Amino acid sequence: MQIIGPDSLVFGVDDVPACHEFLTAYGLDAHDYTPEKGGHFLSLDGTGLEIRRRDDPSLPPALKTGNMLRMQVLGVVDEAALEAVAAELGKDRQVLRLADGSLRTQDDQGFELSFRVTTRRQLDLPAEKVNAPGDFGRKPNQIGVWQEMPTKPRTLSHVVLFVPDIEPALAFYRDRLGFRVTDTFIGTGPFLRPQANPDHHTHFFIRTPPYMQGCEHLAFHMGGPTELMLAGGKMIKAGFESFWGPGRHKFGSNWFWYFKSPLGCNVEFDADMDTHDDDWVPRETPMGAEAAQAFLFQHRDKWAPSGGPKPGH
Amino acid sequence: MTRLCHLDDLPEGGARGFEVPGLACKVIVVRRGGRVHGWRDFCPHYRGGTPMAWKRDAYLNGAGDHIACHAHGAWFDIETGACVQGPCLGKRLIRVPLIVDEAGAVRLRPGEERR
Ligand code: FES
Ligand SMILES: [Fe+2]
Repeated sequence: MQIIGPDSLVFGVDDVPACHEFLTAYGLDAHDYTPEKGGHFLSLDGTGLEIRRRDDPSLPPALKTGNMLRMQVLGVVDEAALEAVAAELGKDRQVLRLADGSLRTQDDQGFELSFRVTTRRQLDLPAEKVNAPGDFGRKPNQIGVWQEMPTKPRTLSHVVLFVPDIEPALAFYRDRLGFRVTDTFIGTGPFLRPQANPDHHTHFFIRTPPYMQGCEHLAFHMGGPTELMLAGGKMIKAGFESFWGPGRHKFGSNWFWYFKSPLGCNVEFDADMDTHDDDWVPRETPMGAEAAQAFLFQHRDKWAPSGGPKPGH
Repeated sequence: MTRLCHLDDLPEGGARGFEVPGLACKVIVVRRGGRVHGWRDFCPHYRGGTPMAWKRDAYLNGAGDHIACHAHGAWFDIETGACVQGPCLGKRLIRVPLIVDEAGAVRLRPGEERR
């Protein structure tokens, strides 16, 4: 199955202007937005979030848990890939073909799914480059950081779901949709990557009781760790609240910084994630603080060793 | 007796968080129905607790009728602290007893600073 990953995540929220405030500060661009109706919040390649009022009649039904995620829109490479998804899922469930060409169905947990030929744009942007003895990533005179450098999320990276029934959920994404398991936190759940995307994960499942079903967090890729640090620092300075980070995960190697949000889930910046192909041998380890990150920092206000006694005194 | 704020600093239906020397987390003060309620800014979802606002003082859900943890959307009853929806069902917030004096100053009940 030639699935690329989430093109869009749709939320039905109880405070649309708060989501606008948060998501534009996070670096997404609002499109077709009104405070009454909500709108789209897009990253540089056109992937992003759709934010509507909880009671918007155009939305698919809400989860019973109160979680505000209403639908995942998964992008596939072309029309043939869309046909393949329709044929496979049509075997045991209703798959609607909508007027805009997209497919609509549900996974085995009752999460709403839409599939469409991806609308994401190919990005032609350099990654953050690192200089090191033996390998200079940047040309002479090319500087590595400046305070105002752009820190725009580039693409929707992944969604993490609280899932009551991990085994059937895994079976659906792996066996029906062809996702690969890249790694597993034993007792928690698997990291998954669709076949047409080399990223370590576009999905991660966390085993929970049924009353928690929903979105745990979502993340966008940044251009590198420096962009991530600057973007998170701007959020802190503007009064937004960190949940976890900055740090660097072990599985996937991605840098992370999570912020609480009025979407009722965490919203993460990530950067420099591993990519894989089918030669990769998945790892397994029990979840815990040691396994979850290589290192973890906490933000502090800028400080410099100055202002002490004058020299000679 | 640690003074947190004056009633005039708390609009009806609003919430604010206050740092208290000696306390590991902020104290959330919610003014509702003419009363003030104090809660520790500790979401009980994970061991040890985590702070709940999505930005400074943003503790309430959109309707303003529940305290919400904005990490995963748990909702808590403003009067009882009990979780009514989301990851913390069966758990509750820890109350911080408050005193409002005749002048309208909102204070921690004596002894609360050391807990
Ligand atoms: S940390 Fe508060 S709901 Fe998860
Ligand atoms: Fe993540």
